[in-house]
Amino acid sequence: MLQAYWYITKMRMLTNLAYRFEVFTSVGTNLIIMLASVFLWQTAYGGGIGNVQSLSLQDLTTYTILSIILSSMFVCDVQNTIYYKIREGQIVTDFYRPIPLLACYLADDIGGSLSSLANKALPLIVFASLFFGIPWPSFLLNFLLFIPSCLLSYGILWLLSALVGLIAFWVMELGNMGMVKDSIVRVLSGSIVPLWFFPESVQTVSKFLPFQYTYQTPLGIYIGNIGTKEALTALAVQAVWVILLFLLLAAGWKRTKKKTLIQGG
Amino acid sequence: MKETVIEVNNLVKEYMITKKESGLRGSLKSLLFPKKTIVNGVDGISFSIGKGEIVGYIGPNGAGKSTTIKMLTGILHPTSGSIKVCGISPQADRKSVVRKLGVVFGQRTQLYWDLRLGESFELLRRIYQIDMTAYEETLAILRDVLKLDEFMDTPVRQLSLGQRMRGDLAAAMLHAPSVLFLDEPTIGLDADAKHAIRNFIKEINRTRGVTVILTTHDLDDVEQLCNRLVVVNHGKIVEDGPIDTIIHKLAPYRLLVVELKQPCEDLVHPAATIIKQDGLKIWYQFEKKRIFAAELISDLSQKLPIQDLSVKEPDIEDAIREVYKTTSAV
Ligand SMILES: Nc1ncnc2c1ncn2[C@@H]1O[C@H](COP(=O)(O)OP(=O)(O)OP(=O)(O)O)[C@@H](O)[C@H]1O
Ligand SMILES: [Mg+2]
Repeated sequence: MLQAYWYITKMRMLTNLAYRFEVFTSVGTNLIIMLASVFLWQTAYGGGIGNVQSLSLQDLTTYTILSIILSSMFVCDVQNTIYYKIREGQIVTDFYRPIPLLACYLADDIGGSLSSLANKALPLIVFASLFFGIPWPSFLLNFLLFIPSCLLSYGILWLLSALVGLIAFWVMELGNMGMVKDSIVRVLSGSIVPLWFFPESVQTVSKFLPFQYTYQTPLGIYIGNIGTKEALTALAVQAVWVILLFLLLAAGWKRTKKKTLIQGG
Repeated sequence: MKETVIEVNNLVKEYMITKKESGLRGSLKSLLFPKKTIVNGVDGISFSIGKGEIVGYIGPNGAGKSTTIKMLTGILHPTSGSIKVCGISPQADRKSVVRKLGVVFGQRTQLYWDLRLGESFELLRRIYQIDMTAYEETLAILRDVLKLDEFMDTPVRQLSLGQRMRGDLAAAMLHAPSVLFLDEPTIGLDADAKHAIRNFIKEINRTRGVTVILTTHDLDDVEQLCNRLVVVNHGKIVEDGPIDTIIHKLAPYRLLVVELKQPCEDLVHPAATIIKQDGLKIWYQFEKKRIFAAELISDLSQKLPIQDLSVKEPDIEDAIREVYKTTSAV
């Protein structure tokens, strides 16, 4: 069985690496967003808002660059895969194979992430370093904590995406709810503007939501805004979210299978 | 009595349909207060199928054929009724049932769009955990019968419809299933491709004893392949039996086509009905039981100047048309 998943991952990597044009456009647009965001921060700091919460301009630049690199690597297509497969009735072909289909979609997305690491993240790092200098982590230890934090982030993001995907099994009329979820995640994860800049109330509420643990946590660890002890706690919170969302997905999936909407003859 | 492979009892599938109203106001209204109606896709079907049978499951559009197949393969859950495939319920234990099934939906492909055909097969080998020697043996046979060699290395999205269908049939047979479900396997194919696919079905039925359930709108498929027909309409079974019996029962009449030398007035015969007339050509329909062809011909030739004639036996198409006609009036 593992062999099958590995094959799916490998094939997704090979397929993606073969699509050159898509890589150019993706790297291009991400680069533009990256430049724009960094210049925005530079202007804001030049205008004299001073250091917010002891964040230097250098910290924020690093934060922004890494945020964009991470977003190009966190491939969570599962919500779209499910939506389109249900809409076109193609989902039936996944149902008559003796293998759990969500696990197949995960293997596929992991393949997408791995290929993005090679053909999107690496070029972005190179360009960013040319423009703004190499975005070093604050300490080696931070970097070592950053890696598992990223993996847990991916876990949270993927599970959220899969949960949204399940909605499509119940109501097709709502359209692709993934876009709504994506906007919420983009804002509340701190991927564009760290939540430290948000009003106190938003920060408090957001502590109890999974979103900030997807971008802000690993990035905060990387730039050293989250200390080592706090970082370990943050990792634990991330792990708890992964477990919670996993249980939720498992329960939802069990009920969803019986409901399966199949479109068309 | 042969071993039973599929046992279906009182199967019902209700679909909940939300009625959409037209216009902006209408669609807003149906979003907030959806009007639900229930449609019976399948409405109380029972049958059993023995090992090695090739069963044609036919009926007009929307009769409930695909819905039945989806329930038999564990994709859809029935509203009520029971299903046993190889003794197991596909709803209770989908994974063990699907290992024994091969499934092809003609309008869909289970092959992986981005992969080459051979890579799709390799992935299936791993999913079904087929051991290498058995796999190679099966694949060799499939390559030969379905003539896959020319496009084994072509990405699936570049295959023609006929090639893709052959690929799909092979994919469904890789794990040596004992039952094969084919939902319109010949849809949109040319004569050659249809021929190849029919041969393939006959071949695996003969050599491997595979039970085949086949839905189709192509009655040649049925005539050439199936020993048994199950006819459904409006979610119910209307006929179930050997093809010859069904034809005989549903279309017990024959047709006598007569061409006259010149127009005549008195054309009628008490034992036959004129169903069509076109210039000097007349179509008489008569029942085998009431009158023999020879009798009818001799009666008619006494009063009519006959130039030419022919007798037509009813075929499967007539029988099916009869079924569709009688039941859709309900
Ligand atoms: N997902 C669905 N939602 C609602 N109704 C459905 C759905 N799928 C099928 N139906 C309805 O159920 C009935 C049976 O459909 P089904 O697809 O089984 O027909 P079929 O016999 O396969 O027809 P065809 O020959 O056109 O393929 C039809 O009336 C159809 O409108
Ligand atoms: Mg159908």
